[in-house]
Amino acid sequence: MSQCRRFEEWLDRGTENGFAELETHAAACGPCREELELWNRISQAAPSLRKRWESPGLWVRIEKSIHESRRADEASRGRKESRAWWPLLAAAALFLVAMIGLRVFRPSLGERELLTSRSFSKPLLTEDALSDVEKSEERYVASIERLSRLAEPKLRQPSTPLLISYREKLLLLDTAIAELRSQLDQNRFNTHLRKELLAAYQEKQHTLEQVVKEEKS
Amino acid sequence: MKSLAANLLGTPSEAEDAVQETFLKIYRAAASFRGSATLSTWAYRVLVNTCYDLLRRRARRPESPVSSVEPPVDFGSAPATDHPLRVDLAASLAALDSRRRAAFVLFEVEGFSHREVGDILGVPEGTSRSLVFEARRELQRRLLGSREARA
Repeated sequence: MSQCRRFEEWLDRGTENGFAELETHAAACGPCREELELWNRISQAAPSLRKRWESPGLWVRIEKSIHESRRADEASRGRKESRAWWPLLAAAALFLVAMIGLRVFRPSLGERELLTSRSFSKPLLTEDALSDVEKSEERYVASIERLSRLAEPKLRQPSTPLLISYREKLLLLDTAIAELRSQLDQNRFNTHLRKELLAAYQEKQHTLEQVVKEEKS
Repeated sequence: MKSLAANLLGTPSEAEDAVQETFLKIYRAAASFRGSATLSTWAYRVLVNTCYDLLRRRARRPESPVSSVEPPVDFGSAPATDHPLRVDLAASLAALDSRRRAAFVLFEVEGFSHREVGDILGVPEGTSRSLVFEARRELQRRLLGSREARA
């Protein structure tokens, strides 16, 4: 290291401010001139670090992995579509059983009047249950939103690579949630989609908790 | 993209893996692209994050033969762009922490502006300036140290 500390002191300041004065000083100070030359040579040498090499198989690998991913997506979508028929089949089977039951245990006219007055005025149980699920889902989403607001400042300007990764993951989760919600809008009774949506929300909650913890640590 | 990944990871095979993984992520996450950055900046951001993931995975493998402070493979350079300081600089660069190394490579090697570097790393423009300055300071000290050790 040089005897003169001017260059070191400038480095310790941590900004490029004062560079012009340093250059003036270095013109008359040998050790600082050497350090300044090295400083400038770093930028001059940096472009030579650009690496170029042939990789003829790379694009083929990329295309292959994208095709495989697309095929996997299509297969998974196909499975989901076939599963989408299950509730319909279950409902049809239930209807059939109910119709048979109705024939076997058909109540008398008096009993029928009683049943009409007591039960049929109430809404269907499944609709009630679904409404409960939707309400608790709304509360869950609201609590995640609150967590989201807590984590937002850190995610807006992430200071660590881990936070950047979390932000990317949350973007992907939001996309998945939006997609599942739009599918659910078309079929509110699809329990499989609801389970998937719940899993996505749980993952989002877990990720946000990690972000908040990261913020504290 | 291969060049950036190679400078961050150190080996051509890992760089190619990172580029492949990046394209796959871009394909899968294209819907999440919000247009707040240019497509190329976004793609580079995905690449840098992928490289960070690979570095983390590598750090978790204690038996890994390639250490993050080990000098990288010398890929060679076109004679027109070669520089006498290149080999020493590459070795010193490999010893930097991943964040400063990424900022330095993006700005000084790949020629992105500080604003673009900020977008790619998800930090403000001023932080990009600081990171590049700190990287150069670290490189300067390492290069001086190795020069004195040789002398």
